[in-house]
Amino acid sequence: MAGPVDETTKEVSDLTMESEGTMSKNARKKELKNKQKEEERRRKEEEKAKQAAARASSQVKKNIATEDEEMDPTQYFENRLKHLATQKADNKNPYPHKFFVSMTVLEYVEKYDGLSNGEHQEEISVSLAGRIMSKRSSGSKLFFYDLHGGGEKVQVMADLSKSELDESEFSKFHSSVKRGDIVGVTGFPGKTKRGELSIFPRSFIVLSHCLHMMPRHKAGPASDNANAKKTDGWVPGSPRNPETYILKDQETRYRQRYLDLMLNTEVRQIFKTRSKIIQYVRRFLDKRDFVEVETPMMNMIAGGAAARPFVTYHNELDMKLFMRIAPELYLKQLIVGDLSRAGVYEIGKQFRNEGIDLTHNPEFTTCEFYMAYADYNDLMTLTEEMLSEMVKELTGGYKIKYHSNGLDKDPIEIDFTPPFRRIDMVDELNKIADLNINPADLSSDEANKYLKEACKKFDIKCSPPETTTRLLDKLVGHFLEGTCVNPTFIINHPEIMSPLAKWHRSKPGLTERFELFINKHELANAYTELNDPVVQRQRFADQLKDRQSGDDEAMPLDETFCRALEYGLPPTGGWGLGIDRLCMLLTDSENIKEVLLFPAMKPHAEPSAKGANSDVGRPFWHNFKNLLVSREFCCCLMTSFIMSCFFFIYEINR
Amino acid sequence: MDALKLWSLSSQPLKHLFRCASSTTTLRRPYSYSYSSSSYSRVVLRCCSSTTTTTTTTNAGGRNRRVSTSSSTSDRDAVRAIRLKKVEELRSKGLEPYAYGWERTHTANQLQDIYKHLADGEESKSEKDAVSVAGRIVARRAFGKLAFLTLRDDSGTIQLYCEKERLANDQFDQLKALVDIGDIVGVSGSIKRTEKGELSVYVDSFAILTKSLLPLPDKYHGLTDVDKRYRQRYVDMIANPEVADVFRKRAKIVSEIRRAVESFGFIEVETPVLQGAAGGAEARPFVTYHNSLGRDLYLRIATELHLKRMLVGGFEKVYEIGRIFRNEGISTRHNPEFTTIEMYEAYSDYESMINMAEEIVTRCALAVHGNLTIDYQGVEIHLERPWRRETMHNLVKESTGIDFDELGNDLKVAKEVTLENLGGDLDYKDKSSLEACTSIGHLLNEVFEIVVEPKLLQPTFVLDYPIEISPLAKPHRRIAGLTERFELFICGRELANAFSELTDPTDQRGRLEEQVRQHNEKRAAAISKTESAEDKGKENDESYEVTLDDDFLTALEYGMPPASGMGLGIDRLVMLLTNSASIRDVIAFPVLKVQQ
Repeated sequence: MAGPVDETTKEVSDLTMESEGTMSKNARKKELKNKQKEEERRRKEEEKAKQAAARASSQVKKNIATEDEEMDPTQYFENRLKHLATQKADNKNPYPHKFFVSMTVLEYVEKYDGLSNGEHQEEISVSLAGRIMSKRSSGSKLFFYDLHGGGEKVQVMADLSKSELDESEFSKFHSSVKRGDIVGVTGFPGKTKRGELSIFPRSFIVLSHCLHMMPRHKAGPASDNANAKKTDGWVPGSPRNPETYILKDQETRYRQRYLDLMLNTEVRQIFKTRSKIIQYVRRFLDKRDFVEVETPMMNMIAGGAAARPFVTYHNELDMKLFMRIAPELYLKQLIVGDLSRAGVYEIGKQFRNEGIDLTHNPEFTTCEFYMAYADYNDLMTLTEEMLSEMVKELTGGYKIKYHSNGLDKDPIEIDFTPPFRRIDMVDELNKIADLNINPADLSSDEANKYLKEACKKFDIKCSPPETTTRLLDKLVGHFLEGTCVNPTFIINHPEIMSPLAKWHRSKPGLTERFELFINKHELANAYTELNDPVVQRQRFADQLKDRQSGDDEAMPLDETFCRALEYGLPPTGGWGLGIDRLCMLLTDSENIKEVLLFPAMKPHAEPSAKGANSDVGRPFWHNFKNLLVSREFCCCLMTSFIMSCFFFIYEINR
Repeated sequence: MDALKLWSLSSQPLKHLFRCASSTTTLRRPYSYSYSSSSYSRVVLRCCSSTTTTTTTTNAGGRNRRVSTSSSTSDRDAVRAIRLKKVEELRSKGLEPYAYGWERTHTANQLQDIYKHLADGEESKSEKDAVSVAGRIVARRAFGKLAFLTLRDDSGTIQLYCEKERLANDQFDQLKALVDIGDIVGVSGSIKRTEKGELSVYVDSFAILTKSLLPLPDKYHGLTDVDKRYRQRYVDMIANPEVADVFRKRAKIVSEIRRAVESFGFIEVETPVLQGAAGGAEARPFVTYHNSLGRDLYLRIATELHLKRMLVGGFEKVYEIGRIFRNEGISTRHNPEFTTIEMYEAYSDYESMINMAEEIVTRCALAVHGNLTIDYQGVEIHLERPWRRETMHNLVKESTGIDFDELGNDLKVAKEVTLENLGGDLDYKDKSSLEACTSIGHLLNEVFEIVVEPKLLQPTFVLDYPIEISPLAKPHRRIAGLTERFELFICGRELANAFSELTDPTDQRGRLEEQVRQHNEKRAAAISKTESAEDKGKENDESYEVTLDDDFLTALEYGMPPASGMGLGIDRLVMLLTNSASIRDVIAFPVLKVQQ
């Protein structure tokens, strides 16, 4: 088994490095800078060499890890670069092309965990690869490493007597291996006398180098291990606590997700869970013969929802384009086109040009499906089935734990046992708030006045424009949503709130629509689709009225879509679900950034923070800068400027 | 024909109009059961509508179809007006023309299958033979007390056999008066094969589920008006069922790709579309602006740099199927947004991706065609593995006789040799792009693209690209100046691009900085050119900014395992496997120029 590794190393050393040549092509200025840097580097190098020599001569053997720890991060980085440069100068490739891995760490643990204490199987050869997350040494002849790969870890016990290197080579090589390096080891399995499963390498090769100091748990390696063990047991639906993570700083965790994934083992499980959730939804719909489709993300009109879109521009076509805010109108066109008997669905990104907060990211993932010949009652049943079965498959039961009141409070329990509670929106509002809203008469001015008064009475604030839709929304938010902790359908929304939903078959003024709320947040939204083109055009006209009264989130008319309806859309149930929010629930995440690999962040205060360490001491001016760029602040500045101008003119005139 | 007259008479206000309609059709073609009768009925409607708007006279029937169908808006408005009246009529009778749902027991195709042994004239009446179907009416005929309609759903068609006695109350009259071609109806009844051998649903009851307001286009028209096909894809699908089939196959292909890579242990992830710096490829990005962040964002031009961060984070096999955006012209091969799969595997090199490419394409071909010999636009393509593997150098040598290995490093000499060798066969554009090459690597690639690429019809892996044109690929372990990279070509088109990934952060920084420098140079040249030409209004190809993704370089500094990665264009794969000539045939709603 040692063969292939040797070959790789040999091939690798034959390599001529290209970087020198590329460098020289750089602009003159750059070159000059580089030269200066290079010189500085060389100077430091010499100094270092002297130091190293001194250290070697003094017989005191320090723990290598602690020594590195004391180093200044920039110096550490410089040292590592220098180490690479030396290797390249010696015509060794520090970045080998390939390492043959005979099994994963997980497979290794599963296969050899049964060995008895002290047992070694020297006749077997195994090749493992992964990242060194911890390093300890005992003299210069024995080094211990924790090798992490695929979310699992195993100890590497590098013993001079088992190695192919001689003593000075061995010691020199292993003192150059740093925490964070990616290595390949080929050796035999065994257990230490204390019962720790290990691999005893005959050959050991660094495949990729970690040039930065890896952030470390303050309390040292012991609690590092404890933490790793504890978090390994995390499963979807159970509570978790990011406060206990090795890397806690949120900024670093989200900006440099790879560090988060390396250091906080649970995080990997979150994204695996996310992948499983999407897989489940896809399987659920595929099983029912739905056809997955892709509709445009850039449109001439941003329709299908009420939100501010992103605008972009196609140069060659000289055309303004909007990023989609919902795929709805396109998916319905495909139902008109009889694409599928069962229905169509799309799982994909939507984009909304809105603020960033705990539950909003400018791009987010939804699943929308449209089911021909179904209505909202069918969809409620289907929703119950999909979610409860998903929760059961992922967590083993119908109940999940969720920190809905902050990490310092106990998590609450959310119960997905079907059927879910159903509450009729207007009826329930009338009952709870003792109101008398008549759904058949919501478009009148009187209704608007009545709702304004109601909001005033309960001290519910609604920012202008105070359209009936917005007022109702506030009332529902105040009285109903708070009661929806376990999955609850709020059903039968008024027509004015639902321009794309079909009128209710028996309740005038209402539509056949439901929103699914879990933990007080909307998770899904669905309705019997409005397929009467005449009524649809009328609804768009009504929206236009709201637009004119200042609600820029009212929906614009999409002529292509209305035309499609005129060719006949069969009775259809349509459904949309926020994938990110579902992931948040099942991974006990209060912040949407926890379930997005690379969430949108405010721009860096300075170009590229080099590693976690440079984040220190940034907050003040970071915030100040953000304040400067924020729209509100600019508005403020502008207003005060204009005001002072007026004042000035006024003064002069006097 | 009598039957037809009766049928038309039932819609009272239109009575006199139908005479002309029926006479015209008799002249043109014999009556048939088939789908094409929809166009026939359409003519009927068109005639009546045009007469209601009094724009046409009886000689309308003498026009040929092409003219009559293209008589656009007024026609359509008239049909809409008539059908809107029917909507009212239905409502006045207490019938909702836009129903809430329909319980189906079977699809058309299922029925054709289950009852294929039913003999002519035989009926299956037992309780278990009570069936219910729903779909669009694409053809109809009516006799005094008998009507035949053809219903189509996504699986196929079936005839509806309607008898006045069998239907309750005045349902038969309603059927005749109110159902138009294009309407979506639900019917239930038993199963009968007519004397003529047509399997039918013997209708007990029916309901109009959705009243259509516009007539279906006839098949021939639908096919010729290319622009309309793309703008109103649903019309295209209704008129040409094989169009919907392409998109069903597309779904199958994407699903098969997923299954294939997941069987190898890859995990699907989602990386951002909106990015602070657009990297991972060389292309003009779309720019947008985020209001609350107060900054410009770019739409991704590749998923590469973020997926590699995942490898740094410890994922060993990841993939993403997602939309990529490039602000470039549109053509039969290019749409501004398109779908790719990108995949990355730690501890492997580009050999591994050769295997994945073969695996994915062959599995998809089998899923769609059931065999590995496929036809693409008249060319027979053989997908049996293994596919040809050849280096770029050898392919160029084979086609042109120029051996770049022996050319040395003198760019000027190389250009002379190249032009001398190819001179006669090149047009002006090719010549000038050869002249413009800034390095031997670029020159080699240019010759490859001009001469070799179009000839690579059978699947071919082109190996070992020059380093100058491969900023993200690892240097070749044996040959200086080359990288461990391949592109897969089928039918003269690039389908996949893969390499052993560059993991050395110093090398990577140097290469990306070089890329930015070169771009800026070109850009400056282009700007000065436009300025001298005093044509400032026109944007040049190079006028966009290229930004360096510094965060990516930082990630590499934390150490990325040796890995290989591949990007594969899904739209192009679908084109290949559905024998579609244009990318617009495989994207449901392609971007089109603004309508004049």
